[in-house]
Order: sequence, then structure tokens, then C-alpha cells
Amino acid sequence: MTALAPAPSRPTPATPGHTPPVAAFTAFPDLTRFVLRRNWLRLAIWVIVLVGMVAMVYESQRVAFPTQESRDAYAAVANTPAVAALTGLPYGAGTLGGILNIKIWMTLAVSIGFASIFLLTRNGRAEEENGRTELIRAGAVGHHAYSLANQLVVGGLSVAIGLLIGLTCIGLGLPAEGSLAMGASIAGVGIAFLGIAALAGQLTSTSRAANSLASIVLGVSYLVRAIADVQAEGDTPSPLSWASPIGWAQNMRSFGENVWWPLLLLVGLGIGGCLVAGVIESRRDVGAGVLPDRPGPARATGSLASVLGLAVRLERGPMIGWLLGGLAGGLFYGGVASAMSDLLDSGNAYAKAFMGQADSVLDGIVGLFVMATAMVAAAFAVQSATSVRLEEASGRLEPQLAGAVSRTRWALTHYLVAAGWGIVILVASGLVFGLAFAASQSDPDQVPRILAASTAYIPSLLVLVGVTVLLTGWLPHQAILVSWIVYGASVIIAMFGPLFSLPDEVIDATPLAATPRVPGVELQAMPLVVLSLVALAFWALGLLRFRARDLTQA
Amino acid sequence: MNAASTPAIEVAGLVKRFGAVTALDGLDLRVEQGQVMGFLGPNGSGKSTTIRILLGIARADAGAARLLGGDPWREAVELHRRIAYVPGDVNLWPNLTGGQAIDILSRLRGGVDRTRRDELVERFDLDPGKKARTYSKGNRQKVALVAALASDAELLILDEPTSGLDPLMEGVFTDVVRELAHQGRSVLLSSHIFAEVEKLCDSVTIIRAGRTVEAGTLADLRHLHRTSVSVVLPGGAGTLARRADLHDLAVDGERVSFTVDDAELGGVLADLAARSPRSLVSTPPSLEELFLRHYGVELPATDDAAGAAVASKASAS
Repeated sequence: MTALAPAPSRPTPATPGHTPPVAAFTAFPDLTRFVLRRNWLRLAIWVIVLVGMVAMVYESQRVAFPTQESRDAYAAVANTPAVAALTGLPYGAGTLGGILNIKIWMTLAVSIGFASIFLLTRNGRAEEENGRTELIRAGAVGHHAYSLANQLVVGGLSVAIGLLIGLTCIGLGLPAEGSLAMGASIAGVGIAFLGIAALAGQLTSTSRAANSLASIVLGVSYLVRAIADVQAEGDTPSPLSWASPIGWAQNMRSFGENVWWPLLLLVGLGIGGCLVAGVIESRRDVGAGVLPDRPGPARATGSLASVLGLAVRLERGPMIGWLLGGLAGGLFYGGVASAMSDLLDSGNAYAKAFMGQADSVLDGIVGLFVMATAMVAAAFAVQSATSVRLEEASGRLEPQLAGAVSRTRWALTHYLVAAGWGIVILVASGLVFGLAFAASQSDPDQVPRILAASTAYIPSLLVLVGVTVLLTGWLPHQAILVSWIVYGASVIIAMFGPLFSLPDEVIDATPLAATPRVPGVELQAMPLVVLSLVALAFWALGLLRFRARDLTQA
Repeated sequence: MNAASTPAIEVAGLVKRFGAVTALDGLDLRVEQGQVMGFLGPNGSGKSTTIRILLGIARADAGAARLLGGDPWREAVELHRRIAYVPGDVNLWPNLTGGQAIDILSRLRGGVDRTRRDELVERFDLDPGKKARTYSKGNRQKVALVAALASDAELLILDEPTSGLDPLMEGVFTDVVRELAHQGRSVLLSSHIFAEVEKLCDSVTIIRAGRTVEAGTLADLRHLHRTSVSVVLPGGAGTLARRADLHDLAVDGERVSFTVDDAELGGVLADLAARSPRSLVSTPPSLEELFLRHYGVELPATDDAAGAAVASKASAS
């Protein structure tokens, strides 16, 4: 107690001031151990999946391109706009390291970005939101100790994944500097989005908003570098690439020129974000965001005080946000589709992997882009459908069901809002896509063609929602996590399955890939009927179980 | 440094605003070392906000707050080694057991006395091996109580600590806090349970709309207010009704009841004695009555606690 100042005769005013640096981090080691203990399984899964993917993809590519001739042949055709847009501008495609980069780098970068965002929010804003940070801060704990422990663990995850990727590549016989540059660029993306997630956690006051804000930044970063990579000259991306943190990491050119200095930008963004977050944290109350809550209406309108009204009101923000995102995507794709197909060599066998079975390159690209809009619509639908489990887990469902509301009707209403609005997003973005594309082609007939291509994804969207319905019924505690794993796997397989040399039977068994990619291929009824039946079965089984089982909170 | 002369809590003119809403509007609160202070006020009056400022997890916009002589924001870490806190709504990590949560929270304060912890787990009848997600509200509350009460804290800050506890466990809580008070610890107890406050606290501070309206020892506060008297008079009220110093007079045949200021009590009793009452019951005002009186009538705005006490007496007379 020697550190205490002598008691003043009058209390001194409680003016804001800076915390001495030592006191700000008291209990940091204890809290670091605590964060590790709460998260070790998640951390281990991220490491195993991301590092394991590198080894697996390397092995498949080594088999696919066994000789230097085969790699040179690939290098001659690797640089297609679709590849550049989706997985990054290809370079060094005549080496196994370069091929590995093309096949897996972007997936790793985006994944580690999401890992940073979700883990940091889970241990940061989410803890604060549910009052546990208050309990911790009532102990002899420095103002920044819990946040720093969280940031250190999440940053440590990036470093560990980066190092292990580098070492794995060296172990597989790839050049050492390129291997380390690849690991470092991946780790750099993780650290950069750690900084962004730290800021998002300070600006917002709910974990959902923090995750959304940081994810939007990640999505925009991906899109900006996609545009830059498509506008590349040779294998130099347009300068726009430097406007995106993912672009910085791409510009490290692992297994190419191995440029190290952009790593400083990535780490700088990470540390800078954490520092600014720390400054905000030292100026605000625990539990508060930067923006104060505004008062709302004192009464619920008649329509809000109903199961449907409440379901729509709770989802209102995401409904508007995802619709705008879908419309922007449709507009973008419609505008660039024909420009891209002009750049594409129709004889390119590897581009076919992305194009599906389309005869015309343009139709192939349109089919791919329509699938991308379907992914956005399905992402909303899955997120919205998980609200059923969220309401149950938080205990908010029980008082609702204590009213004169049947469980099935309540759940079905929420699922229908999710699926219904997902379909609205799907059709609306297809319409905008069609209009933009028709304008660029001066061909009004494109509107119904693309609209038909979009609506073909309705059954697969219903299947993806059905997965959540089924899981919420049978595996409530894992429902949300597994729903997203299934969604993520469906997206990755539909996009990259052919690149990973997966068998066609596996690819076609996933909902998005099972849908015929109109207009490149005929609209066949059979897959759509099968998907619809699967969806019906998932919904029915999930709802039946949800009606019969006990409600369980988190 | 003379610890005994430093109040455990010293708050003066505290102001806290959330956007356009003023949560604290010049609040005063003083808890001496070794004092057990009840902290009363209706929902939304600013009790938890005051406590959050004292814990250094929220900042005041104006006014002064000292905790054990230190600045609650700047010296949060050092001060928190000497205090323990129990919130009214405890949220625990669903995957950790109650026992793990107790140890984590104790350790973050600066260590745990295992014997004391196990004794309290036993007394509160808590199963520390169960995952927190399976606990009821009362059991989560017990986890926070054990972590706080097992500590060697000089000051306990308890924010509606017994919400969700059954009456048996409330009794255990009362016993434990009494023991700690006997050891000379200071306690700030925010509560809506008047019986609990009357049992445990020697003083109370009543706040309303972010201001202190009444503060003092329970005995003093009772003296400031009227005693209720109910009496059975064979001759009925008679001329008693004309006495100006009786308030709230109600007559039902032989039964007469009224309230009277303590200062007038002697004169009134002499008058009653002359009327040969058959029975007489006199009750000092309960804490509940004191409390409700503050919220039943509109009080004039006042600047400090002493002024408030005088003003409330004046308005009640």
C-alpha cells in the first residue's frame, strides 16, 4: 500500500488523466493465461486447418504438375482475369511455390483475417457486452490488461500460423526465403485485421456490430484488391492494390521477388489499430461504445408486437445491409463481366475450372458471378437463420414462448424471414446484374437470362438455411459454428473445388455447386428438384426436433 | 498516513451524463472506515452508476470521488487489491466451472485464501464443480459472493448482492457480512430489501434521480421522522382530535391511530395517559416508511445531504 498518495483533506476532482503505464497492465500475465485457457481449442483448430491446407494443396499440385514442362505450360495460361479477381494476380506460376501461392494464398489470407476478427471480438467486445469484463476489471487489473492479453493471444495466433506455414513449406522442399515470405505475408494479414478488429471493438457497443464492421472492412479490402488485380499490367497489379491491406500482403510476392518491406505496413496497421483502440479504451466507460445510444420509441407498434414483426425488426439492420451489398455486387459484376471475358483466352483449359461447363467464356463468367451473388444472399440467410439459436441461447426465447405462441410457428417465422429475404436479395441482385449487363451488351434479352440464372439458386439457398434449421433442432450448442462451417465449405468447394482437383461427385454434392450454372449450361430440373427435396427434409426434421426437445441456454 | 481518518468512500457533487440523460446530478456519499452503509434508491436513481465510478470502470463528468483515499480511476489497480465487488447480475463464462470462476476472480484481486473459500462454498451450499452454464441465477450470484467474501478486502462494494438468493442463503449472507463488519471492514450495500439493510447497516444514504436526499445513521433518521401510535381509548378520540401536533389521525370507534413528531411525543403521551388507554402500540418509522416518504412526496431541490434532511423534515411537518 506504499504506492498510495497521502489522503488529501478534500477529495480531488475526478478529472480524466492518464494511467501510469505499469498500473495499466497489471495482471496481464494472468489474463493472458486465462484467454489461452478459454480459447485453446479454437486456436488449435485454426492452426491445424490453415497449416494443414498448405500441405494438402501443395501435395495435390505436386501431383498435378509433376514436370517443369507441365508447370511452364500452366504458367503460360495461369494469368486469367477470373483467377486474378478471385485468388489474386498470378505470378511465378512456373514454380511449385508460385502455383501454391495461386491456389491457396488468398484463402489463407481471408481466413486468417476472419480468425483475427472473430477471436478478438469474442474475447473483447463480447465479454464487455455481457458484463464479464466489469467483473474482471473490479479485480486488481490494469485498464488495458485484458485487452492487451486478448490482442497478444490473437496476434500470437497469426505469428504461429505464419511461422508454421513457412516451416511447412521449407520442409516440403520449397525455397526458404519464399516460404518464410509466404508465412510472413499471411501472418501480416492476420495482424493487420487484428488492429482493425480492435478498433471496431472500441467504436461499437455490441459484438455483432464489431464483427460486422471489421468484416465489412475485410470484404472491401478483398474487393479493392480484386479490382486492382484485374487491372494489372502483366504481372504488376494496378496501384490501387496499395489501398488494401490484403494487397499489401500480396505485394510481398512470396515465391516471386520476396519483397519484405510491406510487412512493416501490415504490422504497423495492427499495432497502430491496437494503440488507437487503447487510447479510446482509456477514455471511455466499460460497456460503452464511442457513439451513445439514442432513445427509441416508448411503445411497440401493433405490427412489431407480433412474432413476424419482432423477427423482422431484430433483423432489420442486416436485412438492409446485405441487400445493399448484394445490389452493389450485382452492379459491379454486370459492369465488368464482358470486359473480363474479352481478356480471357477461350482456349485456356485452367480457366475452365472456374467457368464450369460453359461453352462460351462470357457465359461461364456470368455463371460464376451469379453464383457469387447467390453466396451473398445465402450468407445473409444463414446468418439470419442462426438468430433462432441466438434467441434460445440468450434466454430471450423463453419469455416469448411463455406467451400464446407455438414453438414451431415462432421458429418457422424466423426461418421464413431468413429464407424469404435471402431470396429477395438473390433476385434483386440478379435483376441489377442483368440490367447492368444488358446495358453493357446493349441486349435487353440478358435481363431474363440472368434473372433465371439467379432464381435457380433458390433451392440451394433453402438447403443452406435448412442446414441451420436441422442443426438448431439436433445440435443446438454447435449449431451456429457448424452452420458457418458448412456454408464456408460449400462456398470454397463451389469456387475452388476444381482447382483443388476434388472429384466431381464431391463437388456436385454441395448445394451451391449442385445448382446448374445458367446461362452457361442448360437449366435442368433434376438437380433443383433434388435440392428442394433435401431442403424440405432438413426443414421438417429440424423443426420437428426443435418442437420436441428441451430449450437450452448457452 | 492515518488510515482511520481516511473515509472508505468519499464522494462529493458527482455528475455523470449519458448523452442527454443525467444519471448523477451532484451526488454525495460518505462511508467511514468500519461503517456498514446502506445505499438506497429506486431503480434508475444512479446507484450502479455511482458504484461503477467507484470501481474505476466509468468516469465522472464532474465532482470528486475517493476510494480508500485514492483516485478510483488512476489508482484502480492498487485500490482493487483492497476492495471486493459483487454485482447484482452475475454473468460467468459458460465453459468454466463455478469453482474455476471463483479462483480466477480471487486471483485477479491478488490471491485466494483456500480455507476461507472452501468454508464459504460450504456455507453457501454451492457445487463448485458444475459448469457455469448449468447454474441458476442464485448460484451464479453465490459464485461472485464467495469470491468477494473470501477476500481480505478492507471495503466490500455490494450491488444488490442477494438478488436471486433464497431466504436461507440470504440469512447466510447476512451472517457473513456481520462477521466481516465485526472485523472492522467497511461495506457499501446497495439493496432493495429493507429488512436486510436494517439488519446489517448502521447508516443509510438514500438517493433519488442522481442526488442524495437523506443520509445518516438509522437512529438519527428515525428521530427526524414521526412515530406511529395506535391506541385503544374507551372514551373514543374526544378532544384528542383537536390537538394540532397529531398527524394522519384516524378514528374507528375506540381505536385511534396517528403519527407524531418525536419532539411532541412526551406531551401527547401525558394527554393519552389521562384518558386511561386500554392498549398502546408505538412504532418508530421503519426504513420502508422513510424510503417511501421520500418518493411519495415531491421534494424541493437541495444542494447537499444535510440540507436535504432538514428540508425533508420541514416538508413533512
